[in-house]
Amino acid sequence: MNIGNLIMVVVGTGAMALFGIVAGLFYMGIDRVLVARMQARIGPPLRQPFIDMAKLMTKQNIVPANAIPWLFNAAPLVALASSISIMLYIPLGSFAPIFRGYGDLILIVYLLVIPALAMVVGGLASGSPYATIGAQREMVTMISYELPLATTIIAFAWKYAQLGLDNPFSLATVAATPIWSQVGPLGFVGCLLLLVTMILVTPGELGKIPFDTPEAETELAGGLLVEYSGRNLALFYLSLGVKAIVLTAVVVALFFPYNLSSYLAMSALPARLVDGAFFLVKIFVIMFFSVSLIRIAMARFRITQVVDVYWKYLGALSLVGLILVMVDSFIR
Amino acid sequence: MKMLAPQEIVDVLKEAAGDAFKEARCTEWAEGVKGNKSRQVWIRLDRKALRPALKRLIEIHFPHLGVISCTDLGEEVELLYHLFVYYGVPHSEIMVTLAVSLPKTDLSIPTITDLIPGALVSEREKQEMMGIRVENIPDGRRMFLPDDFPEGVYPWRKDATGIPSDMVKELWTTGRENLKPPEGAGATEEEKKE
Amino acid sequence: MKTLEIKKTAPYTTQIGPAHPALKEPVMFTFELEGERIRKADFAPGKAHRGIEWMGLRRNCVQIVYLAERICGICGITHSLSFCRAIEQVAQIQVSNRAHYIRTIVGELERIHSHLLWAGVAAHELGFDSAFYLAWRVRENVMDLLEYLTGNRVHYAIIQIGGVRRDITPDMVPKIEESLKFFEGVYGKLASIFLDDTTIQMRCRDCGVLTPEEALKLCPVGPTARASGVRKDVRVDHPYAAYADLELQPVTPDQLTGEIRGDVYDRIIVRLLEVKQSIGIIRQCLAQMPDGPILAVPKMALLLAQLKKAEGEAVGRHEAPRGEVMHYVRMGKQESPVAWKVKASSYSNYMSWVPMLEGEQVADIPIIVASIDPCISCTDRVTIVGDQGAQVWTKEELHRLSVEKTRQLQLG
Repeated sequence: MNIGNLIMVVVGTGAMALFGIVAGLFYMGIDRVLVARMQARIGPPLRQPFIDMAKLMTKQNIVPANAIPWLFNAAPLVALASSISIMLYIPLGSFAPIFRGYGDLILIVYLLVIPALAMVVGGLASGSPYATIGAQREMVTMISYELPLATTIIAFAWKYAQLGLDNPFSLATVAATPIWSQVGPLGFVGCLLLLVTMILVTPGELGKIPFDTPEAETELAGGLLVEYSGRNLALFYLSLGVKAIVLTAVVVALFFPYNLSSYLAMSALPARLVDGAFFLVKIFVIMFFSVSLIRIAMARFRITQVVDVYWKYLGALSLVGLILVMVDSFIR
Repeated sequence: MKMLAPQEIVDVLKEAAGDAFKEARCTEWAEGVKGNKSRQVWIRLDRKALRPALKRLIEIHFPHLGVISCTDLGEEVELLYHLFVYYGVPHSEIMVTLAVSLPKTDLSIPTITDLIPGALVSEREKQEMMGIRVENIPDGRRMFLPDDFPEGVYPWRKDATGIPSDMVKELWTTGRENLKPPEGAGATEEEKKE
Repeated sequence: MKTLEIKKTAPYTTQIGPAHPALKEPVMFTFELEGERIRKADFAPGKAHRGIEWMGLRRNCVQIVYLAERICGICGITHSLSFCRAIEQVAQIQVSNRAHYIRTIVGELERIHSHLLWAGVAAHELGFDSAFYLAWRVRENVMDLLEYLTGNRVHYAIIQIGGVRRDITPDMVPKIEESLKFFEGVYGKLASIFLDDTTIQMRCRDCGVLTPEEALKLCPVGPTARASGVRKDVRVDHPYAAYADLELQPVTPDQLTGEIRGDVYDRIIVRLLEVKQSIGIIRQCLAQMPDGPILAVPKMALLLAQLKKAEGEAVGRHEAPRGEVMHYVRMGKQESPVAWKVKASSYSNYMSWVPMLEGEQVADIPIIVASIDPCISCTDRVTIVGDQGAQVWTKEELHRLSVEKTRQLQLG
């Protein structure tokens, strides 16, 4: 890697981090306004998450007496850094990922675990019984949603390996050859099931109702995050915001990699802008269905019910999806 | 279920209490246009008859214990067990109050939690608020008073073991002089005599 | 009590309260936990004990009516009604039937308001905030109606010894009817949310069970007892106020589902059905309301003199939204009572927490604790509102604003 490349990567990373944070907070604001409107409330202004961040940054950062300070302080940083680093592997609109050619789908699945793990570590390090229960629940939740998530990814990997393409696990390959164009009617149904699975895994990953058991405001007073305040809490919020963008971007990249510019025959720069805007719209739609709409219509699950839902129902759903995709490619 | 009239309940409990029975009265009170009456039975007993009378009442119909009230009468403390039978049938409930007087020299009473477990909250409250000693109480901790509340002070007493004036916070001392009550206002009759 | 299987791993204890988001009022719980499962539960109330009975013994009876009203912020009529009923029996004051009917109407409106408040809190404890906002929006309408009738949203100050302080005039009836129609419309929506929603069923069915035997022995009252199949309702059992003229049946969950399980879900059913029952009672009372004076002794000085001569003891009861409330009062020819014992409904319901909680999961603590609708009565009365800058509203200004608002409501 030469110097020029290095600078490109550094600048790109900075830009991606900025985009991730700003977009994450922006979508958080949209979610809050939409949810408020659906509950017949006025809701906060769109920029409320930014105001919250600014305020949290000025607040005192309290480390509890029986916490492990270095671990307690490191956890939010790790969470944010790992969330941003996933951004580098994901195509945004017609922008190819910065680390194209280095990572693939499997790597993203692993990277997605890190912010959640950082939260678990931070929770356990904060020395509060509520945070400890929250951390245990977060681990259980993680193990639970991993099954349907992994099954979905395997379905994709298997399908693209089957097609005999170069570098079948790469997101760039998926983006170049949309899954819908590669499957027959059976596979189409299978893919729909996988899409539903992904939409329902997203709130689990993000800790939103009904899967917000690890934080459970009314039970654990915030659970994992109960002892966090000030800057550390702000970093966790930012990492959640970025993670929301990452997850929805993965869903978009897997299922809706289409761009407008190729249909409109545009020149380079406007095409990129249009694709970028279209990408934001796609993220919004996914976010609306998987976060806002689910979170207003449900009560919180118990931790045992979270496991049941992910392992039994969504596990079965994604397996059926996988089998349909496989059967489809055998009979074609 | 054959329902007994108030006077019949008195007779049955009188038999169960034996010579420890002191007095009984039945009262009625009507409200509303139709004049349906609510019925109450007040029975005063000695301490030793409380449990036999209660056991007999349980045989009639498992009573609902409302609460155990408590009055400081000077030399004595009176405990009143407000029990209700025949609930569930419209307008036929009867309140049976078993009242027991205890001399202040010996404020002990057997527990009834083995007969009615739900009496525990009320018994714990009587221990801390009035200084009653409930014998064989399964859980004798304080209920409503804080742990650092002084021993030997019983808020409901009207004698020297009641709340001393230095424990009372007067709101007007926080700077609202115009709210100062006139001298002697807010004292009980006993306190005024002192 | 349930027997718990004893495992050899060391259980750890954790405390919830006195201040915790699951608890709307201060109470302290100690739990012995094994993983997510509760092995033992213990509670300690009294974190906000104000010594109201002590204060009452140093005041005259009319003052106590207003003091009693402040025992609970939600049961605004319950305590003053119970106290007045006890005093009326001691002093043999006959309340006119019109006043009885007005007391009943306000009491039932309060029940609707309290059950809606509870429904919102329960939904919030379950993490179902949409239902919480819906329930509280409807509750706002009930509170407006109460303000229209009595002048106040919370402490109605309508009960007085010997009757009520404000009449319900014929021109007020259309507005009441309009609100009742609105509640009936919303009732269907609320019932379908709370009774048909899968997630609420998943969380509440067979959770926090109180068996009928426990419901008898631990002396719970109100919806907590009725949901376990104990048919006990002061309004039905004990003829008082306008309830003495009505033919009511206690609400039990089998009226809807055909079975009694005594779980949290059954308690939801009972409260929802009671909202419907209350609407019916108000309608009936409005239709049957007799004419007459509203106050037996309108002159306060006369009333106080009469009370000073009274001697005797009595118990006044009322079925509060949470269950039976009773006031024992003994008078002895003095200005203030010789004895005043207040028994609020949650006092009787505390004991049933233990069998409900033991054996359940940590996640169920908030909804089980809320399921008896505990009213621990808060102490603080803060009247400072910071609004864009450091503007502080004084008590006088707030009073003027609230009077203006009530006028607006009453002028339409």
